[in-house]
Amino acid sequence: MYKNILMFLATVFIVTFLLVSQTTVTNLMWLSSLDMPVTVSTIFTSIAHDMISMNGSGAVPAAALVAVGLLIAFAMARLALIWINISRKYAYAIAGGCALLAIVILMPLAFYNLDLIAGARSATGKIYLIATGALGGYYFGLNLSKKEN
Amino acid sequence: MKFIKLYLLGLLLLGNTLSASTESEYELETIAEGLHSPWGLAFPSEDEILVTELSGSLRLISSGGLISEPIQGVPEVLFAGQGGLSDIVLHPEFDSNKLIYLSFSETDPSNENFNTLRVIRAIFEDNSLRNIETIFLATPLRKTAAHYGARMLFMNDGTLLITSGDGFNYREQAQYLNNHYGKIIRINDDGSIPEDNPFLTTEGALPEIWSYGHRNIQGIAQNTEGTIIFENEHGPMGGDELNIINPKLNYGWPAISYGIDYSGALITPFTEKKGMEQPKKYWVPSIAPSGMTFYDKDLFPQWKGSLFVSALVPGDVRRLILEGEEVISEEILFEGIGRIRNVITAPDGSLILATDGKNGKLIRVKPIE
Repeated sequence: MYKNILMFLATVFIVTFLLVSQTTVTNLMWLSSLDMPVTVSTIFTSIAHDMISMNGSGAVPAAALVAVGLLIAFAMARLALIWINISRKYAYAIAGGCALLAIVILMPLAFYNLDLIAGARSATGKIYLIATGALGGYYFGLNLSKKEN
Repeated sequence: MKFIKLYLLGLLLLGNTLSASTESEYELETIAEGLHSPWGLAFPSEDEILVTELSGSLRLISSGGLISEPIQGVPEVLFAGQGGLSDIVLHPEFDSNKLIYLSFSETDPSNENFNTLRVIRAIFEDNSLRNIETIFLATPLRKTAAHYGARMLFMNDGTLLITSGDGFNYREQAQYLNNHYGKIIRINDDGSIPEDNPFLTTEGALPEIWSYGHRNIQGIAQNTEGTIIFENEHGPMGGDELNIINPKLNYGWPAISYGIDYSGALITPFTEKKGMEQPKKYWVPSIAPSGMTFYDKDLFPQWKGSLFVSALVPGDVRRLILEGEEVISEEILFEGIGRIRNVITAPDGSLILATDGKNGKLIRVKPIE
């Protein structure tokens, strides 16, 4: 149980980091296209800023959003595994993807189609974020499987 | 040394005496209430006010505070998010031609997933609108119901400025001249393009654009001579701005900003760049500036030449004391009456405030008798 909680927190951290850094990097890529002076140092300091600020100063902490989404999705995956014969890592990967899908699709519906996560404004961004959820779920499922093996 | 300190203290006290207003100088009088999110205000006569309600009605408030039934003929609006029936301005020759201009958000008739900002003009007579003509439609259409801008101002040369917001999700588009996101538009009173617009000959640029790089302009005003155009715009989390607008200039959004995104993310790590204008003033944290008026009447001589900016958060009005084009100090007035959506100077020199919300009020600021 203790290890599962740690693994879940690690998964939340990985997904949150990928989500935050995607928002930061896509912003910086656009700024760079405008000939703004984006340097390697700007990239690292901006990601560090966003990791702290998106979890401390924003309207909703990104990690909390991801954690709630993954918790619900993983709980449903755990239930589904009772009846469906599928590898855990794939079940949790699908659940992780669904969690991020819900975040990037449902949140705008609640806010007049506004994408509060800037990186989720484009279709590519949405697909990337769903993939990060799937990756996080895969990591979680893989490690659960290892433990049980 | 002691003398210098006393001298500086004396200057400070004198300065405060000169610039500060006291509640003994004015009183607030509620002239209408029960309005649904009042937004734009205009004076068809000395003692009547036309007021738009964001929910879609245009009403006439008479001198006794009587609120009319909704004016007939107002087009159906999209009342969602920040959208709805927004601003109203009168034609400079309204007394003779009875033309009024309305800005509002509307759903695209061919695809209800999209909407946009529309500006119409119409003849206002006998409590109804007739001869309605569209004079501006923001393109491309948007999916979001936010950041319309939608303020309007007739400049002294008779052309109309319209603010068009960045649509929230489309902020980067404010830097490109092939669309209306994050722009100030300048057109003639009939919607045609003035021959001296700044991007008329720029390849790929929309000819009606006057300035660009804006976010969500909620207030626009000019000085008495019409030589200075002021605008205020909402920043994201922090970074609300007061700018002086000149044609063809880039005001920087979202490449430079003093605010961060609502998620906490940086929109940009930069606050300045050559070729992008700096605000005359910015607010961190945000005050959510809304309407704006330049005060040039005699009823409050101590306020003459000041710029008044209404604020939704926490709900007050900022009197900005100007020296030429510079803001030299700021005074907070009219606190405690809620979110203030608009402030406008009445023909008699009093100020009219519009409070936000479903039970919006119009409040007159007048000298104590």
